[in-house]
Formats: sequence, C-alpha cells, structure tokens
Amino acid sequence: MSEHDITFDAMGSHVRLLIGEPGPGMAPAAEAAEEARRTIAEFDAALSRFKPESELCALNADPRERVPASELLRAAVRAGLEAAERSGGLVDPTLVGEIESAGYVASRAGMRGEPLAAALPEAPARRPARPNPAARWRGFEVDDEAGTIARPPGVRFDTGGAGKGLAADMVAARLRGYSRFIVDCGGDIRIGGADALVDPYEVFVEHPLSGERAFVLKLGSGGVATSGLNVRNWRAEGGRVAHHLLDPASGEPAWTGLVGATALGDTALEAETHAKAALLSGPEGGREVLTARGGLLVHDDGEVETVGPLAAKPRIRIPSPAPSA
Amino acid sequence: MTEPTARATRRPSPALVLWGSIALFAVLFALLTYQLASSQPPAPRPVLVRKVLKRKVITTYVPTPGQNSVSASGGSLGGEASPASAPITTGAS
Repeated sequence: MSEHDITFDAMGSHVRLLIGEPGPGMAPAAEAAEEARRTIAEFDAALSRFKPESELCALNADPRERVPASELLRAAVRAGLEAAERSGGLVDPTLVGEIESAGYVASRAGMRGEPLAAALPEAPARRPARPNPAARWRGFEVDDEAGTIARPPGVRFDTGGAGKGLAADMVAARLRGYSRFIVDCGGDIRIGGADALVDPYEVFVEHPLSGERAFVLKLGSGGVATSGLNVRNWRAEGGRVAHHLLDPASGEPAWTGLVGATALGDTALEAETHAKAALLSGPEGGREVLTARGGLLVHDDGEVETVGPLAAKPRIRIPSPAPSA
Repeated sequence: MTEPTARATRRPSPALVLWGSIALFAVLFALLTYQLASSQPPAPRPVLVRKVLKRKVITTYVPTPGQNSVSASGGSLGGEASPASAPITTGAS
C-alpha cells in the first residue's frame, strides 16, 4: 500500500497532501495530488487580499451594492459568514481596515515573527475579545441563484480567517474514495478515508512558545486546526508587538491570556473557527468553546491545558510503584 | 426343631452383565447422539480480520521559484533534507 506525499507553498503557508490508494476507477494518487495543488493555487489566486488582481480585491473595490461573483468566491464568503455566525461574531471577516491599521498590509509569508516570549511582558492587560456590536458581516448576502454577493459598498471582506480551513475541506471533498488522505493547509488539517479510521494519523500540536511538541493527537477523520500568536506578528509603530488576531470590538490585537488554541471539528473550517474563537475568548471562554469537540489551550505562561474529550481521564490506570520507605 | 433354610446366593451370569452393559451404553449413546443432532449449531464468533499493511510514502516536494527540488526517493539535489519523514503538525501559520 502506498501513500503519495506532496508539499508546496500556497496561501502564505506550507501545504501538504498525503493521499492513499485510489478507489475503483479513480485517478492515481499522484494525479489527484497534482489536481489538488492546482485547486489550491486557483483558490489562492482568487481569494488573496494581497493580490490586487484577485477576485476578492475586485469585490472589495467594487462600488456596486450587488456584485457578480464566481462560485469559489461565493463559497469563501459563505464560509467566512458561517465562521462569524458560529463564533457569535468573534471571528469577524470584515476587519480589513483594522488589520491594515495595525500594520498587516502586505503578505507576511516566510517572514519571521517577533519572539512571543519577549513580547508578552510588554503586551497590554489581558481581557477576552468581544464581537463588534455593529456586526458588519451581517450586511453580506450570498445569492447562488443569481451568482452575486451583496453588501454595503465599502465594507471589505477578508477570507483569510476561514480560507485555509475551507481550502482543506474543498480538496478533501475531491479525495473522497481514496483509502486515506490528509490535507494540511498551513496547520488547518482535514483527514479522511476508510483506512484512516482503522489506522489513524498522528498529528503533532506545536507549542507556540517553545516550538516543541505540545501534544499528540490520533485522528482518523474530521478536522483539526490551530490558532496562535507566534506567527504573523510584528513590531508596530510605538515599538509594541502586534499580531493578526484582532479583538473585533476594539479593532486592536487581542491579548486574552492565551497564546495558542487547537480545536477539533467535523471539518477543517469548523476546527479553524473554534480555534480562533477559543483564543479570542481567553481561558474561561475558550474552555466553553472547546468543551463539546475538544481541544487544547496554551496559556501565556506556556501551560498546556486539554479541554473536553481530550481532557478525559484514561479508564485504565497503571498504578505507580509504592514509594519506598 | 427345624433348621433355618439356607438361601443360596445367586450371582448374575457374566453374559448378562456383559450384554446389560452394552445395552445401557447403546441407549445412552443413542440419547446423546439425538441431543447433539437436534440442538442448534453454536453461533459463529465474529472474527476480526486485521490486515497489516506496510505504508510506502512517495514524497514530492514542489519547490517555490528559486529553490532546488528534492527527489521522491528522499535524496536531495540541493543539500536540503527530505521532508519525507516530517510528521503532520498543526500549528499557527
């Protein structure tokens, strides 16, 4: 039994695909991998806010209220709205102006961030992020019959918050029928295939402060994603470290007492949404977000906390040897 | 005065013992055979078939422009380490 493993750069991250044996009448894994690579490249070209020629930039610049949109853009906007709805507005896809004001104007792909451990002592007081009461994202409407997206002109949309998860899910949908597969779009991961249920993949969770392995998950299906402050951060004007996860209420980088969150979900998009929402909610709210499906919270002091099903105690415990007198 | 009558003790003949034993055995044997024949066969135990498969991973690293490529067999063309054995990792990106 063979598995095809391909790695490439897209969407400002590393993308990795592992594809097992094809089902009857399906293309060989190498061919499917190449097809998936093209799909992700198209996704990236159409939905990047850093590429002026992208369809997303065209939508954001369009003065009309109702704009014709491709199926891909409609799916991406719908995914962003779904993430906002699911997170109660915490994962807000309309913070384009705010993130630019914070200093994230161009792609930071391949750029080293500021050391997080050094940034934490000088960060503002910790508090949970809150949704923006204006909820601008509610002004978006996707019409698949008409093939349009309607929104108040001037309100810009960023698919970045849900893009990698959506891309992983879209590729995974095309790989249905292969014995096993994993689609890893920059740490937003979707797993599938009947064989993976029998022999699950091991997924390592990276610690955002040390870069070491914080936890090992064994997953046979579904999605997993991680959100953290250790990447896409920079030193803003005034010398303070800023990062890309904004508090929708203030429009400023959120410092909540957590530096990372990993979430499980049925899909990569769901996991990505939960991970971001957990991190933005802070320790207490983060536990609530992750309770149902499970996940990890990494606190400012580096402590790794397992939540929900991951925190369940093992049924069989090996007794520790009696202390010697 | 009369003498008590001596009752002669009669032993069963060896032939009777032999044929009696054989008859008893035959009856019991027939009974057991009938019981076994009339009972339902035991339900088959579920058998878990577990195939042990060796996973062979074929790796392709698609370089970004300006980088050297890494071969599928794990050897490197540009002195880079092959990512073939890289674990699946979820981290912020």
